[in-house]
Amino acid sequence: MVRLSALLPRGYAFTVVGIAVGVAGLVALGAMAERITRFIEGGDRFVLGQISIAGEGMGMGTGFTAGGILPASRIAEIAAVPGVSGVQAQVMLPLNTSTSHFLTLTQELIMGMDLSVPMPNRNYREFPVRAGRWLRAGDRRAAVLGSDFAASRHLAVGDTISLGGQDFTVVGILDKTFTAPDRFALVPIEDARELWLRRDPLLVQAFGAGGMRRADLNTGVAVGWRDGEDPDALARRIQSTVKGLNVTIPGELSQLLRQSTAFFSALLVGIGALGLLIGGLSLANTVTAAVFERIRDFGIKRALGATDLDLLVEVLGEGLRVSLWGGAAGVLLALAIGTAVDSRLLRDGQQLFLFSPRLLGFALIFSVALGALAAGYATLRIARLSPAEAIRRGT
Amino acid sequence: MPVLAGVDLEIASGEFVAVAGPSGSGKSTLLNLLGLLEPPDGGEVWLGGERVSHLGRRRQARVRGASIGYVFQSFLLLSGLTALDNVLLAARYVRRDRAEARGEALALLERMAVAHRKDHYPTQLSGGEQQRVAYCRAVLNRPPVVLADEPTGNLDDHHARTILDELRRLAAERRAAVLLVTHRAEAQAGADRVLYLSGGRLLSQPPAPVA
Repeated sequence: MVRLSALLPRGYAFTVVGIAVGVAGLVALGAMAERITRFIEGGDRFVLGQISIAGEGMGMGTGFTAGGILPASRIAEIAAVPGVSGVQAQVMLPLNTSTSHFLTLTQELIMGMDLSVPMPNRNYREFPVRAGRWLRAGDRRAAVLGSDFAASRHLAVGDTISLGGQDFTVVGILDKTFTAPDRFALVPIEDARELWLRRDPLLVQAFGAGGMRRADLNTGVAVGWRDGEDPDALARRIQSTVKGLNVTIPGELSQLLRQSTAFFSALLVGIGALGLLIGGLSLANTVTAAVFERIRDFGIKRALGATDLDLLVEVLGEGLRVSLWGGAAGVLLALAIGTAVDSRLLRDGQQLFLFSPRLLGFALIFSVALGALAAGYATLRIARLSPAEAIRRGT
Repeated sequence: MPVLAGVDLEIASGEFVAVAGPSGSGKSTLLNLLGLLEPPDGGEVWLGGERVSHLGRRRQARVRGASIGYVFQSFLLLSGLTALDNVLLAARYVRRDRAEARGEALALLERMAVAHRKDHYPTQLSGGEQQRVAYCRAVLNRPPVVLADEPTGNLDDHHARTILDELRRLAAERRAAVLLVTHRAEAQAGADRVLYLSGGRLLSQPPAPVA
């Protein structure tokens, strides 16, 4: 059996706590940066995988979640444009109509999808399902929920959820994507059209006046392209070929997204740098102070015959063990704090921290490497002193 | 200003030499120089036939570990180690077999009547016990030279006598060269030679009192 004292040198408890606090700060700040990065990357990945087209207009009837109505005839015209591999009709509605709903990336949405055609998004051939199953053609009153959407309402597969006053059975829950679909309720497009009609009296009148079929009730389409096709060029071709469309150019949208998130990108660089600085300084200072505190011990050891190399090996060994303990404790502390905070935020469908394996691995390696460096530096400083001087200074 | 000047001291194996002198006269400095704990500004220190004061750092460390034992006034035990581990520390840096050294350390602790405290940390020991443990550490490697800097300064008479008797025995039986810095008259009386430090010089007679 390995004794604890063999793993953690005696008298280093406060050092470990000091390192743990520094590393916890580093990990927490890093986890926030990771969260923002994943959000930006996830959004970018989605918009670059498809061409999104809405009907002309501002989308008043859909809470400004998309453009105007996109009738079936236009969708057919889009599908006929050379280079298009697939078109999927969609209806996007805000979940909550009691507040203003402008297009945001954090809004909770109901998204109706035409399940008779495969998803054309090249980066999401299907959304990753964590529990249950994906929607099938022929499903009605069935919903697949984004992870935050489900978690904030404590919903599981088989539960019932009311969307726009209609009951839906939860058939699946998505894996976390760290971007918009995490807050989506995905339903068959027929159900979404029905919700839209129930919500919008003006639309009912227009629908009742004739000239419109249910298949015309679409807020947009996702368009895929054939292999070798330039998506931006295809998007422009569609725009020039089919009238009355709001076509987003994937490359431009990606650039727009990046511009709009430039502040966050700068913020996360700052957060990361701050985390490294605070965590690194705290750790290096704690380890160095711990070594200097033992200056008398080093003097005694040298009086007993320890060479500079003996001391360096000893201190490095202790520094590595202490840093590893401190690093691990810091990671656990950050995980505990982050989990506690996120469990609170999750009630509102939000998540502040993302503790990725690469972040945790980096934090551990960083703390061990910096701890060893700090210990080595302090030892070399002490080694310059004569044994008698070291004993005098430490007494 | 030099602390020591013109000091020329030779101690033979088996000789027990006491050095007396007022505070600040350089007694501890002398011990530190002889024990290679401090580099001299000038002069030489020889041990056997070797000029050890001019060796490199690594070789000096080896000499300290194998050939010189120190007993300090303030014991200087490592607080994070038990009494036994403090004694065994002396064996670590001379690469002695731990099991063999452990047996010898236990025998020494037994002889000094502190074996029952071997698993205690220094803060759990009395001053007398700490000094006896420190003595065991100093002699574990059977060094030919033992330097004791006021080893009885923090002890009561009984424990002081124990330590002084051991140092005398060390010189007489093990033929170690023992240099003792002390104010205790009884220690000086039992020494083969008593030297006096005054004004940085070693005298064989106590300096005449200043009128």
